[in-house]
Amino acid sequence: MYTLLSGFHKYLTRKEEYYVIILGLDNAGKTTLLERIKSIFLGVLGLPQDRIAPTVGLNIGKIDIDRARINFWDLGGQRELHGIWEKYYGECHAIVFVVDSTDKDRIEECINIFEKIITNDEVEGVPVLMLANKQDLPNSLKVEEIKEIFNKIAIKLGARDSRVLPISALEGDGVRDAVDWLFVRIQRNKQNRPPIFK
Amino acid sequence: MGAYLSRILGRLWGEKEVRILILGLDGAGKTTILYRLQIGEVVTTIPTIGFNVETVTYRNIKFQVWDLGGQTSIRPYWRCYYANTDAVIYVVDSVDRDRLSTSREELHAMLEEDELRDSALLVFANKQDMVGAMSSAEVSDALGLGTLKNRQWSIFKTSAVKGDGLTEGLDWLVNIIQGSKQQQ
Repeated sequence: MYTLLSGFHKYLTRKEEYYVIILGLDNAGKTTLLERIKSIFLGVLGLPQDRIAPTVGLNIGKIDIDRARINFWDLGGQRELHGIWEKYYGECHAIVFVVDSTDKDRIEECINIFEKIITNDEVEGVPVLMLANKQDLPNSLKVEEIKEIFNKIAIKLGARDSRVLPISALEGDGVRDAVDWLFVRIQRNKQNRPPIFK
Repeated sequence: MGAYLSRILGRLWGEKEVRILILGLDGAGKTTILYRLQIGEVVTTIPTIGFNVETVTYRNIKFQVWDLGGQTSIRPYWRCYYANTDAVIYVVDSVDRDRLSTSREELHAMLEEDELRDSALLVFANKQDMVGAMSSAEVSDALGLGTLKNRQWSIFKTSAVKGDGLTEGLDWLVNIIQGSKQQQ
């Protein structure tokens, strides 16, 4: 009887866990985004900008929405670290791809890397959110321009949910909308990628 | 009671001691790193049997750093020191390709311990001053760091002899530790 009751209690109070992987070139603003998400959803002070060094490894942020927990994996963006990304594909429920909207010279590189990510079999059907970051800077490409640039490979996204949103991780603009979009999409994709229960 | 009082006092004065373990195979450079951090000099070391423990103050944080001997026969004793550890610094000899698989096994065996569930992992790919040293990507691949999903980790190329990379690694650690203390 106790087992039954405690099992039932466990079932009622269990938490759905999701994993979101944050990718993009180095200096796109991935860690700044993670810190901003933490400060918005947890009410803690994020790391000050001048303390954020290039990531070589994995930073983790955990936030709770409703009764679900979303874990963000922020991986280093330097070229030699891209091999590590794939290790996290199999267990992620969504992909966030951060683009530095001011770095026009590396936009081609961005396209190539983005294409490589979305055509990987391990993330088939996984929702993809592209974030046009650094919108606070005057010379940044607008969302429409970014969309147009990436349009040539859009067909490779397949049937998955995808979206491009403007943000400024530094100022916090658009970050909440981005997380809300993710939360809806990972729940919608539950059949394909079920959450982990904890 | 005494412990409780000192904890309150510590909080008032903002002095928190962070417990760090330096682990890794024998000859990786753990003791050299410890004293490089503490006194900023390269000391002549002998293989550690047992442990060295020193307090290092960095960016207003007091680190209690334990350097445990890395020889095969004494590795089983590492576990005696796991409790209350905030972070592990794992040191790898980046030139010693033959023993990387052993290093990987020891690392993962250690990380499976329940007492280290919440500790961050900082890897030092040490001996970068030597010819043929592996890059951080190579070392992280060989150590299987990509299999760590619920632990914050980072890897830095270091040369304990020259003093390169150590403070960068500690900066990362300070950020992680301050972040997790804030969330508690």
